[in-house]
Amino acid sequence: MMRTLVAGALSLLLPAIGLAGEYNLTVDRVTIDTGEFVKEGVGYNGTSPGPTLRFKEGEEVSINVTNNLDEMTSIHWHGLILPFEQDGVPGISFPGIKPGETFTYRFPITQSGTYWFHSHSGFQEPEGASGSIIIEPEGREPFRYDREYVVQLTDKHPHASERVMRNLKITPDYYNRKQQTVGEFFSDVSENGFLSTVKERLAWGDMRMMQADVEDLQGFTGMINGKGPEQNWTGLFEPGERIRLRFINSSAMTYFDIRIPGLKMTVVQADGNNVQPVNVDEFRIGVAETYDVIVRPKDEQAYTIFAESMGRSGYARATLAPEEGMEAPVPGLREPARLTMADMGGMPGMDHGDMGSANKMAEMPDMDHSNMEGMDHSAMMMPEGGASDPFYAKGSGLVPTAANGGKFLSYADLKAQKPLYEEREPAREIELRLTGNMERYTWSINGVKYEDAEPIRLKYGERVRFKFVNETMMTHPMHLHGMWSILDVGAGQWNPIKHTVSVQPGTTVYMETEVDAPGQWAFHCHLTYHMAAGMFRKVIVEGGPESTQAAFSEQPSEIGGDV
Amino acid sequence: MSLAKFAVAAVAISMPLAALGAGTHGGGHGHSAKSGEPGKASDVSRSITVEMYDNYYEPEAIEVKPGETVRFLVQNKGQLVHEFNIGTPDMHEAHQKEMMMMVEHGAIQGGKLNHDMMEMDMGHGKSMKHDDPNSVLLEPGESQEIIWTFSEKGNIEFACNVPGHYQAGMYGEVNFN
Repeated sequence: MMRTLVAGALSLLLPAIGLAGEYNLTVDRVTIDTGEFVKEGVGYNGTSPGPTLRFKEGEEVSINVTNNLDEMTSIHWHGLILPFEQDGVPGISFPGIKPGETFTYRFPITQSGTYWFHSHSGFQEPEGASGSIIIEPEGREPFRYDREYVVQLTDKHPHASERVMRNLKITPDYYNRKQQTVGEFFSDVSENGFLSTVKERLAWGDMRMMQADVEDLQGFTGMINGKGPEQNWTGLFEPGERIRLRFINSSAMTYFDIRIPGLKMTVVQADGNNVQPVNVDEFRIGVAETYDVIVRPKDEQAYTIFAESMGRSGYARATLAPEEGMEAPVPGLREPARLTMADMGGMPGMDHGDMGSANKMAEMPDMDHSNMEGMDHSAMMMPEGGASDPFYAKGSGLVPTAANGGKFLSYADLKAQKPLYEEREPAREIELRLTGNMERYTWSINGVKYEDAEPIRLKYGERVRFKFVNETMMTHPMHLHGMWSILDVGAGQWNPIKHTVSVQPGTTVYMETEVDAPGQWAFHCHLTYHMAAGMFRKVIVEGGPESTQAAFSEQPSEIGGDV
Repeated sequence: MSLAKFAVAAVAISMPLAALGAGTHGGGHGHSAKSGEPGKASDVSRSITVEMYDNYYEPEAIEVKPGETVRFLVQNKGQLVHEFNIGTPDMHEAHQKEMMMMVEHGAIQGGKLNHDMMEMDMGHGKSMKHDDPNSVLLEPGESQEIIWTFSEKGNIEFACNVPGHYQAGMYGEVNFN
């Protein structure tokens, strides 16, 4: 029924186009072998991750998705601009795909670049239901390469996702093995009299903070293209060739710091949109982000692609080599990052006026500096090496540094290769405080979780500015469906166009959106268990061309909770 | 920007130039030993128009005869600053370090050149002036000519050494026949 309606509407709207492609995906129970453990999961066409779908800009695609599971499923085309009924979020875009049913997605491809697709039902995505999308541009690429590989990262946990969520709800630090940083840090501080001085201002008891919060899910195996570190996925090359690596982080919870010892990487694309090339030694990829880099190995040797988790609790590893079977050394894990006072800068219960940053704290007039002697200032106020990055709180312990002392990519380095929209003033600003209570493992926006929240209403044709204020100690990759997130890096019309924006603890990040897609859309943190806990909003775009206005707005939202 | 930082920058920028100079066995033209030398208008056998886009050239390969003198009409049709530089891959690599410094000091800003910054005295009589005879650096919309006499056969590329551009593929082959 749904199918015929959509097809009918599309055939009226779209002129006949020569370029059309039909694709078939089955959603299947699969077995996933990480090399360390074997678990049951969900995949596409019998594998996890699923296949790479190759589209061409300008093409009209039909994708037949057959649900072989005994539960509802869905596919969301992450980062693709399309009619909202095709976006694949149950309860927001469509009802979902029933067991045994085949649903046909139909939409025009209006963009190019590296993207991915995944289930938006239950915990199917962390269970393995994702795949990659490559879209060739109509014209030439603004760069050259001799060969390309998708490098799709996942974090496989031995426990089923339902069980992980239950455990996190009961004992939020269940998967937190390090059990140190913050507690250890504060015990040091307290011995030195610092804590007593600022105790009241900190409102310590209200900080709702757990220990070692850099990652709330440890104990996973990092995988690249479905291979664990020992299984070592290998991409072949001829020395001297330029290789385009399309990195996709389809992990449930894990940020990765990626490097290829011995090779510089030139970042040419972020979230499917070309950026002005940046040469880096290492970069951090947030959950749901993509980065395309070009590398040029000149020597007849193997190179390790090393993806270390942000909290240093695990890694994924793959190899680039002239021949199958060649290997390069695999680096060890670096010391875990330590959160600092700065990373708690946005925590509720703290006096924002005075405690907004570590710098301000150091200047607090009533602090007894004489008692601070013997404190390890470098550990507390500054990350190792005094690195700074405007997208981390001043003095944050999370600021990444390159393992070889070289260049680590910052959001501040990302500039659009070609502006997608004309610069204009946003009509209004919408503040979204990213909130949570670690002790109860609740995650929310503006203190309200999805089930209890009113949708965000936008007007078709307006440009809005979103202000993210991260009041938690976790990094949140915020993903708006259907419309681009223009990340404010201070570059005006050259601000990069993204689909997922990471907001670090204790920071405020701005992005702007041209509201050019009618209908209703999902907007959420892409960390699986944060999303499931309620860090999620429905966005309703009011107005727009009549034929495409929200047809599902009266639909009950309970299925939407099934994300 | 501190004075100390400028001093460091000045030393660093003078190094690659000095190193290249030393390689020419006392010859006058810094780059002549490898890629050729500035040519005379009277020797020009033909003209080649090279268009620079973000971030690639059209054409991406040219054919020349050993010793031929060619007039290049270089046009920047992109929205970013681009360079057209004739040299060997090693020369390009050395020049990329200088260009990186120009970006770090704000002499190159996306689609703009800051000429005041480029003229600034970096100490030791050096500036970030981009005046090598084998190269032009152009803002969007600008055009410039280079008359170049190619050496005998060699591994020569034309390249844009604005940071990241060469690595992303903004280069073209010079094929001798």
